[in-house]
Formats: sequence, C-alpha cells, structure tokens
Amino acid sequence: MYVNGVLIQDTFAEAFPMRAARIVITAVSSRWAREAALKLTGFATSVIACKCEAAIERELAPSETPDGRPGFSTLLFAMDTESLGKRLVERIGQTVLTCPTTNCFDGLPDAERRLTSGRALRVFGDGFQGSKVVGGQRFWRVPVMDGECLLEESFGTAKGVGGGNFLILGSNASSTLVAAEASVAAIASMPGVILPFPGGIARSGSKIGSRRYKSLVASTNDAYCPTLRPLTDSALPDDVHSVLEIVLDSLDEASMRRAMYAGMAAACVPGVRAISAGNYGGKLGPHHFALREIMSESANVGVQP
Amino acid sequence: MTEHITLTLRAPLEESIEATSVVPDRFASLSERDIAALPVWCGRKQQALGEFFAVDGGHSTDVRVIGDVRRVAEMGAGMAGGRLVIEAAAGDRLGLGMTAGHVDVLGAAGHDAGVGMSGGSLHIRGDVRDRVGAALPGAARGMTGGEIVVEGAAGTDAGARMRRGLLFIGGDTGDRTARGIIAGTVIVIGRVGAEPAHGSKRGTLVAGDGIEVPVTYRYACDYEPPHVRLALTYLGRRYGLSIYARLVDGRYRRYCGDAGTVAKGEILEWLPE
Repeated sequence: MYVNGVLIQDTFAEAFPMRAARIVITAVSSRWAREAALKLTGFATSVIACKCEAAIERELAPSETPDGRPGFSTLLFAMDTESLGKRLVERIGQTVLTCPTTNCFDGLPDAERRLTSGRALRVFGDGFQGSKVVGGQRFWRVPVMDGECLLEESFGTAKGVGGGNFLILGSNASSTLVAAEASVAAIASMPGVILPFPGGIARSGSKIGSRRYKSLVASTNDAYCPTLRPLTDSALPDDVHSVLEIVLDSLDEASMRRAMYAGMAAACVPGVRAISAGNYGGKLGPHHFALREIMSESANVGVQP
Repeated sequence: MTEHITLTLRAPLEESIEATSVVPDRFASLSERDIAALPVWCGRKQQALGEFFAVDGGHSTDVRVIGDVRRVAEMGAGMAGGRLVIEAAAGDRLGLGMTAGHVDVLGAAGHDAGVGMSGGSLHIRGDVRDRVGAALPGAARGMTGGEIVVEGAAGTDAGARMRRGLLFIGGDTGDRTARGIIAGTVIVIGRVGAEPAHGSKRGTLVAGDGIEVPVTYRYACDYEPPHVRLALTYLGRRYGLSIYARLVDGRYRRYCGDAGTVAKGEILEWLPE
C-alpha cells in the first residue's frame, strides 16, 4: 500500500493498557497556565524511567474551564491506578501548587474510579485549609503566599492505551524531521491523545531488553539505526538513512486510530520512503493497530492531517 | 404516562392550604385520578388536591403548577427527585427538607424557602421572604446541602445556621444574613443587612455591594478568592445568570471570624476599583 508514493508497511503498532487522568490547569493568563502544564508534564516521556507518560492535550478557552480562566488540559498515563495516584500527588503538589495564580481541576468528571489527590494535598495547608462544594464537587482551598490555590478533591481515572506508535523512514535526516513535525502538527490538539516525547518525536526508539547488558529493561532499536545497517539484522530499506518515531498515548482505541491516521497521512511527504511501526510480535500488549487497516478505514478518511 | 403533569389552580384561594403532597418524585407512580385524590390541608380540614387544582396528566416526575399559589405552602416538601415548575409566585416553606430534584419558581416565594434542605436545587426568579435556606424551628442546622438561587432580594435570616450548600441572592438581604452559619457559602450580590454572619463558625459570606462588617471579624487581606470566581462562574452557567464581571474578576477584602467562635468563617467584601 502506498500513500503519496510512501510505502505503508504491512505491520502493526503494539500498544498496552494504561490508567489515565486528565488534569485541567487554569491561571490568570494563558502564559502561567502553560508554565504549570509544562512542569506538570515534564520528564514524563516513558514509564520505563519516568514512572508516567504525560503531555499537554490542548489549550482551553476560558469558556471551557470551570473557573472561566485560560487553561490547559493535560493527560497523564501510568501503568496502574496506584502508581497514577502517586504521580498526581507528586506532580500537582510540586508544579501546580507552586505556580503563581493556578488552580487545578479534574478533566474526567464522569469517571467512576476516583483518585483523591486533592484531598491528599490539602494537608499542605497545615490545618488552615478549607473546602467548598460547588456543583456537587468538593474543592480544597489551600492557603499559599499569593492567596489560595484551589484543588479539586478527586480526579477521575480511566482506562487508556499506551505505546501506540509509528516510524517514519526517510531518505535523509532533514526530510524525516520535516515529516515528523508535520505528523505532530496534525495530531496536536486532537482530543484524548498525547505525544509524550520531546516535541512529540522520539529518535531513540527502543527494543525490549538488551543483546549485551542483562540488566537493561530497554536498549536501542538497532534494527532501525541506519549506522548499524551492516552490523545487525537491519530492517531498513537501502534508501533509508534516518528514522523518527511518533509515540502516542490515548484515552481509547478510537482516538488512537484517528490520531495515527492523521499523523501517518501528514508524514507521507517527499523524502519519506516508508511508514512502519514497532511491535513485539503481539506479546507485549492487547492493542494492535495495523497500519494499512488504519489508512484504509473509511471512518478515518477526512480526518484532517 | 405523560410528558409532564399540570396542576392548574381552579379558583383564587381565600385561605392558605398546605400541599405537602405536591412532590414530583411521588407522582411517578400515580395516575391523574390518584394525584387528584391526594390530601391537602386547609386549616384542620383535610381535602383533596383535585378540589383546588385541575390535574392534567400522570405517571411523570415533571410537574408544572399554574395559577397564583402564594397561599399554597410546602409544595415540594421532602422532594427527592424530579422537577417542579411554578409558573408564578410560590408560597411559604417551598422545598422544605428537599433532598434532590429541581424546583423552578418563575415568580417570588414566601417565607422559609428551602429550610432544612439537604440536596437538589431551588431556583427562584423573584424575591424571597425570611429564613431562606435556614433551619427549621428548633433545628440546630439550616440547609445541609444543595443549591438555592434567588435572583431577587431576600428577607431576614437568609442562610441562618446553614451547615453546607450554596445560597445565592441576586439582590439585597435583610438583617442577620448567614447568622450562625456552620459552613457553606452565602453569596449576596446586593447589600447585606445588619448583623451579618454573627456567631458563624466556618463558612463564607460574600458581599457584592456593601456590608457592615461586625467588629468580631478581623481583617486579613485584599485578594481574588478563587472559590468565589469558581462559584460565580458555575452559577452563571448552570442557572443562566448574568453575573457582573466586576464580581467574578474582582478583588475582595477578607475578614476572619466570628471571634466568639472557632473563627474559621470569613466575610468577603467586594472592593470597588
């Protein structure tokens, strides 16, 4: 299958279940909401070493936020509910509570399973904290030096899909990066999806374990490293000299499929030879996203790349 | 089963009646005839609802009341769900002790609206008289949950001894507003009457257009309270209220009190620029 002359390889991306939370941060200005959101989602590229994966989902207009101020919606993913709860307490406590003028709200109000992160963080108020119930939800008022920080008591958690991916195989580094940037731009702001790596792009694709170092959980994906072509069992066509990976986490399979379609379609530009994906033979996770199936799904046609 | 049930007052009332039977969630299993046979009290005399109201429909929790029912007390008392719309002014003790559901009054309401309520919402487009959201006689606590939105003014003792919940008054209030509140939030867009929040333990009284702060409250700071912004934004969206931007975005002077109690309550006085 070819799209704009780019080969879509007959393979699939393999993803796994995660637990997700959506955190909405507001502030006096978009600038300060963004500052908090960036810190909240910082150093959260991969659960392998960061314990969670997180990124900004999209910017919110004042009309979309609970307190009518500018805001950002972020998504955090962890391997289980307990771990997600710990990450929320750590990250909200150190990045949102500390940031001038911010408030923090739950972005999954309909979720049945709740994490009481705001309740845990209230004790920072050292007994001076108070709470208010508005619209049936409890909010903690934690006194801070610029006034008060408002934290929603509980945050909904939902099943998520982690580790969706596709690989952009290009003829040179610059055209591959241009294609990857186009992919990121196409996926940006799609609801329910984040790209946790820097700028949405990963260059250090990994394989499970290591050929040499037994203690490593993951090591470089040598089959896709162009410099190792003659030294390993390379998966690269002869005319491919650079590979970049787009890694996606989503709240559900449908969002993942839409985002992968948009991203792959945007990446099919001159200089790109093929689109592939990382999988582990179906042993890692139950979510399989076949690239050719996604590119031919009628539901995805019309999704704006 | 009908989409909604309509109760139309047959003739102007010459004396007050108590219609504790007008409770939407209890109408769900009743036919038109059953509803008409429900009891109402006229003084010491028990009569049928159908003697006063023409009943149209049955088996629904959406109830509309048409006519001047200012002399009909205790409609929606103990209501636990459904929707009650009163298309004119309502009488005393409206929504007394209600736990859930929504009451919408297109006119004013009498005394004791929402007293002892613990959930649901009460939306009154006009004024209310005394003791809105307050405690039942002899009760230690006023409303313990839910929301009361009064677009007009309120009489005395609004929110008195309130334990939890949200009480919004769009106009002025009478004396002793938020008297002895234990917790919860009272927002007054107009001017607050004398002796506000006297003896309160916790809770918040927001004054949007003037208040005489008791000497038993101590000044803390001028700031933008995030929970006031949140509550006003929520009320504006939920009830379609036009809230002044000056109040949503504004700064408030915070006073802590009442010093005669645990003093964890607060009065927030809006500060003109």
